[in-house]
This record gives sequence, C-alpha cells and structure tokens, in this order.
Amino acid sequence: MRDAVILEARNLTKRYRLGTRDVDALRGVSLQVRRGEFVALMGPSGSGKSTLLQLLGGLDRPTSGEVVLDGEVVSHLSDAEATRLRREKTGFVFQFFNLIPLLDVYENVALPYTIAGVDPRHGDAADRIREVLELVDLQGRERNRPDQLSAGEQQRVALARALVAKPAILLADEPTGNLDYATGGEILDELWHSCDALGQTIVLVTHDARAAAHADRVLVVGDGKIRDEIELGRRSTNRDAGPLIARLAQLGL
Amino acid sequence: MRRLSSLAWRSLGARKLRSFLTMVGIGLGVAVLYVSLSAGAAMDAAVDKAAADEIGKADVRVLALEERGLSKATVDVIDRIAGVSVVAPALERRSYLSASLTQTPTATLPPPVTVLGIDPVREPMLHDLPLVSGRLLAATDGQSALITQTLASGERLGLGDTISLNGTVAAGPQDYKIVGIVRGDGPLPRAEGRLVFLPLDSAQTLFGTTSITRVDLRAGPGVSVDELVGQLDATIQTQPYLLSRTQDLADSLRAEMADFRGALLLVAAVVLFAGAFLIFNTLSMTVAERGREVGLLRAAGTTRSQVMSFVLLQALVLGVLGSVLGVVCGIGLAVLTLSWVRSSGALDLAAPVLSAGSIAMALLIGVGITLAASLEPAWRAGRIPPVEALRRGPNGAVAGAARLRWLVLVFGVLALAALAMWPRASAGSSTGSLATGSGSSMWGPLVVYGLLLSTVLLLPLILGPLLRVAGLPFRIFRNEERLARSSLARDRSRTALTAGALVVSLAMVVALGTAAQNVRKIGANWLAETIPGSELLTSIRPISTTDPIIGQLAAVPGIKSISPIGIFGAPYVYTTQSGGRSHKSVVRQEAAAIVGRDYLGDGRLTFVAGDRASALGALDASGSVIVPESLADAANIRVGDSVEFATSTAPSRLHVVGIVAHSIPAGAQEAILIGWSDALNQFGVSGADFYAVRFVPGQEALGRAALDSAATSYALQPNDLDRVTGTVGDALDRIFRLLDALALIAVLVAGLGMVNTLSMTVLERGREIGVLRATGMTSRQVWGMVVIEAGILGVVGAIIGALVGLAVGALLVLWSSGGFGLAFDPPWPSIGLAVCFGILVSITAAIYPAGLASRQSIVQALQHE
Ligand SMILES: Nc1ncnc2c1ncn2[C@@H]1O[C@H](COP(=O)(O)OP(=O)(O)OP(=O)(O)O)[C@@H](O)[C@H]1O
Ligand SMILES: [Mg+2]
Repeated sequence: MRDAVILEARNLTKRYRLGTRDVDALRGVSLQVRRGEFVALMGPSGSGKSTLLQLLGGLDRPTSGEVVLDGEVVSHLSDAEATRLRREKTGFVFQFFNLIPLLDVYENVALPYTIAGVDPRHGDAADRIREVLELVDLQGRERNRPDQLSAGEQQRVALARALVAKPAILLADEPTGNLDYATGGEILDELWHSCDALGQTIVLVTHDARAAAHADRVLVVGDGKIRDEIELGRRSTNRDAGPLIARLAQLGL
Repeated sequence: MRRLSSLAWRSLGARKLRSFLTMVGIGLGVAVLYVSLSAGAAMDAAVDKAAADEIGKADVRVLALEERGLSKATVDVIDRIAGVSVVAPALERRSYLSASLTQTPTATLPPPVTVLGIDPVREPMLHDLPLVSGRLLAATDGQSALITQTLASGERLGLGDTISLNGTVAAGPQDYKIVGIVRGDGPLPRAEGRLVFLPLDSAQTLFGTTSITRVDLRAGPGVSVDELVGQLDATIQTQPYLLSRTQDLADSLRAEMADFRGALLLVAAVVLFAGAFLIFNTLSMTVAERGREVGLLRAAGTTRSQVMSFVLLQALVLGVLGSVLGVVCGIGLAVLTLSWVRSSGALDLAAPVLSAGSIAMALLIGVGITLAASLEPAWRAGRIPPVEALRRGPNGAVAGAARLRWLVLVFGVLALAALAMWPRASAGSSTGSLATGSGSSMWGPLVVYGLLLSTVLLLPLILGPLLRVAGLPFRIFRNEERLARSSLARDRSRTALTAGALVVSLAMVVALGTAAQNVRKIGANWLAETIPGSELLTSIRPISTTDPIIGQLAAVPGIKSISPIGIFGAPYVYTTQSGGRSHKSVVRQEAAAIVGRDYLGDGRLTFVAGDRASALGALDASGSVIVPESLADAANIRVGDSVEFATSTAPSRLHVVGIVAHSIPAGAQEAILIGWSDALNQFGVSGADFYAVRFVPGQEALGRAALDSAATSYALQPNDLDRVTGTVGDALDRIFRLLDALALIAVLVAGLGMVNTLSMTVLERGREIGVLRATGMTSRQVWGMVVIEAGILGVVGAIIGALVGLAVGALLVLWSSGGFGLAFDPPWPSIGLAVCFGILVSITAAIYPAGLASRQSIVQALQHE
C-alpha cells in the first residue's frame, strides 16, 4: 500500500503566451509520487517549480501531457470535476495570502467543510478542526483574525486548513519562504510529522536546502525539466542538510 | 460561519460605506420609480373617479355637438328607442351668482358657477347625489336649487337661503331656494366645486332655451351597450352628437396625462440606469479586488457556480435593502411631488394612495435591475482561475476588464418594464383628436433612452482624447494631472461607466431644461400669433354678435378695435379607408369663429398655403375654412379641398382657402377657423366667448383702465395676453421643475457611484501610492491627484452630458412643438448651471477617497504582502 503511486505526471509541458512571445515553463516533466511520500522540488528561480505544482494540483491545465491523481486524470477534467477533485483530494499552502481576511482562524480552517456544505461547528468536522488546530499548536486562537496573527502563525493556519479534510496529497509552494529560520522550522516539523505519523503525502516546493532536507526525496527542476533526483530516505532524527547541500553544490546550485 | 453564503454578508459588512452608498443609489432609483408609479396610479384614480362621477350608472352619454344643444324632438326620439331603460337629459351652462356681482363691482369677477339643469326624477336613477343636508330636487319643484358644499361654504350659503342666478333672460337674475346641499365638490370636476343643480325646466327657462346639452342613457335588460349604440346611430339623424361610453371618457382623460406620465417614467428609468451603473461598477470592482480571495476559494474547491451565487447574493442583499429603502423614501417623495403637481393646477390628481401593486412593482424592478446589473460581474468572478491565488505582485485587473455588453441587458430589462407600465394610449377612442399622433408617444422616450445608452457604449472609444481635453483645466498641476489621467485611462470600461452615469443624468437635466424653455416660448408665441389684439375679454356665456356690448366697448376711449371670437365644437366628418371601403365617422373638432379682416392688418396668422388676403376675405364671406397645419397634415387636407361637417341643417361642406402654421388653441387642439356667418347660420353658434381687444397705440394704459371698469359691468373678464400665457407657462414650469428635480437625483446617484469608484481605485493603487509617497510626493499632492481625477471625470461627464442633452432636448422639442420649436434656443444659463453642478458633485465625491489616499501610511502600503 505504501508503495502505491498516488500522483503521477507524464511528459508535462506548459507554454505561457506573453504577448507575442511564448514562454516554455515546463518542457516535458515526468514524475511519480508514492503514497505517504514526502517529495521536495528544488531549483533556481523561474525554473518552473510553481508551474509544475499548479498542474499537479489541478489548479491549471498542462499544454500537453497528463497528471494522474489518485487514479483520476486531472488534466482532462472539466472545470467542475477539477474543482471537486481539488476539494476532495488536495490541500494547498502558498507562500503568501493563504487566508481570507474576513474570516477568523477557525472559519479559515473550516473552509473546506463550509465549501462542501458541511456545518463545521458540530460533529466530526468540529472534532477534526480541533485536532488539526492542536497539531499546528493554535488552540485558543480560534477567534483571531488573520491580521492579528504573525506570519508564522498565519502559515500554520494555512497548513491546518490544507490538512483538515485529509487530502490525498498536500501541495506546498514555499510555505516558509517569508519566515525566519526558526519559525519556518516549526512549520516543516509539522509537515514532516503529518507525513510520518499520519501518512500524509506531501509535495513541497522550496529554495532552501534545509527545508528540502526534511523530504524523503528531492527532485531538482531546471529549465522546465527534472534535472536530478536525490533519494534521502525517511530519517526520523538527524535531518542534517549537509549531505544534500554538498550534492546540490555538485549540481551547481 | 456555517455556510458559504455568510461570506457574502461579511463581504458587504467589511466595506460598509461602499455597500451603503450602493444601496442608497439603488434606493434613489427605486424612490423615483415609485413616485412615477404612484403618480400614474393617482392619475388613474382621478380619471376613474372623474369618469364615474360624470357618467355614473349610465352606459352611454349622448353629447350635443352644437352650441344650441339637442332639441326636444331628438330627446323624444331617444326616449322611444326600445333598448333604453332610463333617459336622463340635462342642460349645463355657466353663470354668475348675481349677488356677488353687486358685492364687488370694481374688483375682478368672482369665479363663475356651473348650472346643471336635471330631470328631478330620472337623474337620480343614473347619478348618485350624496347630500349632507336637505333633500333632492322633486318633480314638483320650480324655483328650487341644490348647491355643493364647497359653494355653500365659499359663498356662506345655507339651507333655505336664496341664490340669484344670471341667465340670458331679459327679465334679469332669477331667484332659487336652496333645498339641499351636495357633499364636497359635487360630481362635475370642471365646475371646480361651484355647482348649482336646478330642475331642468327652470334651467331652460333661465337660459332661454328648450334644448339640452347631454342625455345619459342606461340600456334596458338584455340589451348590450353595443346594441344600444347601434340603435342610437340608426335613430338620431337630425342632429350631430357624440356618443361616449364610460371607457371612452376615461381613455380620453387618460390620454391628456400620458405625456406627463411618460416623462416621469423616462426620468425614473434614467435614475435607475444610473443606479445600475453604480451596482455594476461596485460589484465588478469588488470582484477584481477580491480576485485573489476568489482564487483561493477556487483552489480550495469552491465551484464556479458557488462563486457566482456568492456575488449574486451580495447583489440581491443590496438590491432588496436598497429597494425597500427606496420605496419608503418614495412614499414620502410621492406625497411631496403630487401635492406640488396638484398645486400647479396643470393636472387634476387625486392624493397618492398606497397601493400594494405599485410597491410590489417598484421592489420587483429595483431588485430585477440590481440582479441584471450584477450578472456580468458574477460571471466574471466565476471565471477567475484558481491559480490567481498564487499570483504575486499587485492585485491588478485579475478578473479582466468589465465588459459593457451587459448594459444592453439592463437596458432591455428596463425597457420591458417601461413597456409594461406605459400609460395605455387610447388610439381608438372616439373622443381622441386627430392631430395628436398617439403612436409616437411611446417610441419617443424609447429612442431617447437608446440614445443615452449608445452614448455610454461609445464613451470608451473616445475616452483618450476626451480625457486630454477634460484635463486641460487642471494642467497647472502637471504631475498630478498626468497621473490622474493615466489612472482613468487604465480601465476604460470602468471610467466610461462612472462618467456614463453622470452623462446620462446631466443629459436628462439639460434636455428637460431645453424642452421647458421651448414650451414656455411656444405658449407665448402661440397666442401672440393667433389672437388679433393684446388683451382678451372672456365671457362665461356666449355673447350674441348683435349684442350692443360690442359697440359700447368699441366706444371706450383708448380702444382701437374689438374682434369677437367664438370657440365651439364642430362635428367634423372624418373619412378613413379600411379594407378598400371608406368609412365615415364624426369627431369633435375644435373650431373658432373669427372676423377675417381683423387679421388683415398685422402679420398674425402665418399662412403656409393659400393667399392670406383672399383667404381671410373668403372667410368673412362664408363657405370657407382655414385649417391649422397640424390637422392638415394629419388628415391630408390641401388648399382647394372641401371638408365636411355633420351640421343639423344639412351636411355642410366648407372650402379650404388656407392652411396656417398655428391656430387658436382650444381644448387640446388647434381650432379650425371659420367665418362668423357660417358659425352662426350653420353651426348654431350663439355668440362670442371672448373678444380680442386692440388699443390705440400710446394709449394702452388709459384704454386698459377704462376697459377694466366697463368689462366688469358686463360680466366680462379682462385678461392681459401676457398674463394668460404667464399662467399657462407657470403651470408647465412647475411640472418641468419637478421633472428636473427628479433628474437631479440621477446626478446624485452618479456622485455616489463616483465615491465608490474612486475609493476602490485608491485602495487598489495602495502600493502605487506608497511608492509615489516614498519617492517624495506629499500627501497634499496625493490628495490633489484624486480630486483632479474626479474633476476630469466630472468635466467629461458634463461636456458629453450637455451635448447629448442638447440633442435629446432638440428631439423632445421637435416631437412636442408641432413646428414651433424649429428655432432651437437652449437655455444656456441653466445648462451652464447644470454643467457646474455636475462638476461640483464629482469633486465633492472625491473628498472622501482623496482623504483615504492621502492618509495612507507609506510603510503599510509597501509592506502590504
Ligand atoms: N502566468 C504566467 N504567464 C506567463 N509566464 C509565466 C506565468 N507563470 C509563470 N510564468 C513563467 O514561467 C516560468 C516558470 O515560472 P514558475 O513560477 O513556475 O517558476 P518558479 O520555479 O516557481 O520560480 P520561483 O522560484 O521564482 O518561484 C518563468 O519564466 C515565468 O516567468
Ligand atoms: Mg515559484
């Protein structure tokens, strides 16, 4: 079961049209993510990491190639089906602007239930929300508005929301990008914990080798392609980034 | 938050001012709409009441078309018709209470009274006469009278008192004993409450006649009104008459008010249109502003239709609250408006009644328009891609530029609503006149409305040059002006809509002003062109042409000439072609008996066809008629034709000797002009209704003073021509001022829209403003930039609004004036005022957003994300 492929990309390309000029953000990417795996995507700025993540989560459609998420071909779904898939199978954490400013912490976390038409204040949903708030260590802050939280706390709320509906896969695009090292570390520990203890599949985009060192496997993206793959394995302690940094240096990153 | 929909509420609550202003905008539109609807309802009520009062339980009224009335023989013929169950003849005349004549011999005359001679037995079978005291007239009554409560209190009369009435009898005034008092104003609106009922015989004696003016009929059991009408048509052969049914009467009354109702509806549509711009702009900017939030919701699995309904729900909330607010304000506004119109005396209105129908209609249209205007923003919100959530940088035009196609939709909804509510034209009514083409009355406003719409649609195309021109006055602040202009050019649709509301509303103000000016002019020109003199002496009863009064008046020092004019209804035979057969019908055509040679001297009466001198000569000779151009056009009459009249002597044909541009106004028509000899001999006219008086040049003051005292002793009312036109003009002025005031509400709605748009652009450009401030722009300059932005918008709106308004005004003038308005003369000072008002409203609207922009902290603006 653990080794089952939950997410697969086959020869993905993405071409953006910028006025008269075409930009090839992805030039043929294939990858597989197994259930419960923690994969990090690294690479220089503009290499296509975010684009890839968007395609994997069904936020956008590839120019060619396909994405299979939990047995469904995401890239060929209608908008309504893709929406349902996102709601049921994916959770997102972005670098910026993860929260609806009008809603408080509890309501932001409860959003996936609310969207699905489930009353989040009672029953299983309420239990689950309490659980994830505890996981990200935000109990007692339910009634706070996003602007009353620090950047790190905001990202933890975002993480809680991404996890609340137990998505098949969690996609995070530089979730620690604008946090200091210590705060970012807490988020990463929580991510790792959800993967290790709860079996959550995670794809993380990051620039930071110390963040990537939490992953089981690192994929290096360059110029719209997968350039390299570094297998780190599950390490419950000693997540030293040293060897990874050395390896990346070899690749000229 | 239990349900996603409550996010919509919160979204509204988060921007309270914006939501509030949008709501007020919708509310104002609905308020004006409600005024328009309830004015319509009040008019209908007044019309129905008038019609019911006049006809009562009768099915058909036979009205004499000739001055001399219907003869006894004709009444007997009607009486013998099988299908008739009740026949109630009556004689209606005007007179003076002779007591009041002697009370104040030198002051102006008291208002006349209307005398209605009725059959004491038959009349009550068809007309209710509610009494406050006393009894009804009895068959045996001779010198008895009923009077109305209004007359009783006005003249301090009571039961048992005696009134003295002036008639045509040589014996002088006759006395009547008051036996009963009729409640209120009585059943005859045109009597204005001063109504006296006499037994028919007594009335006939008083006025020296054996005829009657009308017969009311009730069909017998099992006889339909149509059958009755058919029998009447077949039976009455000898005298011209006019048949009217209750419905016809109501229709013709209604037709008189159709123009005013149409104008009110048009103004309401314009205010609503401006309100729709406000909704559209506000919602579409809210959508743009919340683009990333929407993206986030989409990324988290919200469906497109959920996003759309989220926007529509916001619109619905605003629409419902705004419409309720609007109806509440509208009820108050309607009371004010209608009392204002009533006090002008131009239209006879009932007090506004709260009708569930009008309220429901106003709410429905308010909400409907809100939803129509929000469809496009909602659709656009649904199209926001989920990747929007990840996009960095300023939250620019994420949702795409607003498309103006939707405007056509809103236009459609409004136009349909207007069509549904349009006052029903009474084209087929037998009492309708020939000269008023009833078909154009609905298309006119629709064309105006379409013109306004296309202007707004065209605005984005010419926005660039427009902005440059409008920026000129602000050039002294070079940087601010440039920045303001580029900010306006960024989203052309949005700018076009914001300015568009102003354009449309100012256009309406200018157009109404132009039309008002023109109508006033027409009023003044009309009489001056058609009356041979500078003073009118009006009489309440026709004065025989052989009466010595004329000679005596002509002898008054300072008076040069006296020209008698008699107004009467001529039974005009109108031939229509239908299905290859020509069909003849008789309609009442207003006619005026004049002395042709009195027009020879000065240039009055403009001939468009026929020779002036010979035509006027022929008129005095007999057998000729001069036709006003409006009738000639409508009935396709040319000089040399003959027109037929169903006079009682024999069908008489008069030879058309001339066509004049304008003729003497009578009723709602222009009168055909007939010589006195024909009027007396063929049309049964008994005398002149007024005299046109010309003074000896240089002796006007002397002549006028002498005339005043002489006239009063003959029970004549002297009227300065200027004063006559002045009174008419004042009444119209009040109506136009009212319409103008309502149109100004549209300008206010446009101002509200501007507050919203500017506040949002300021928020949207927060980062940009931060950068400007960081690089050295003072907060004062930022303030100035926003105010200049509004100023430019105001100038654009004012210029285009004034231009379009002039065009619309020209159209209104063209339609309404029957050729008088071709000398197009807009009221420049008031147009200037309207333009200034528009600019002022815009600049005032900028004060809040400008403060918002200038207070913004630099650090926060740059920190923001
Ligand atoms: N919406 C878009 N339209 C046009 N071009 C785009 C768009 N999004 C991304 N690109 C281009 O595609 C390429 C890949 O962008 P992407 O955001 O995926 O890079 P990235 O690896 O995430 O970079 P970073 O590390 O800076 O986040 C870049 O050259 C970018 O300019
Ligand atoms: Mg990126």
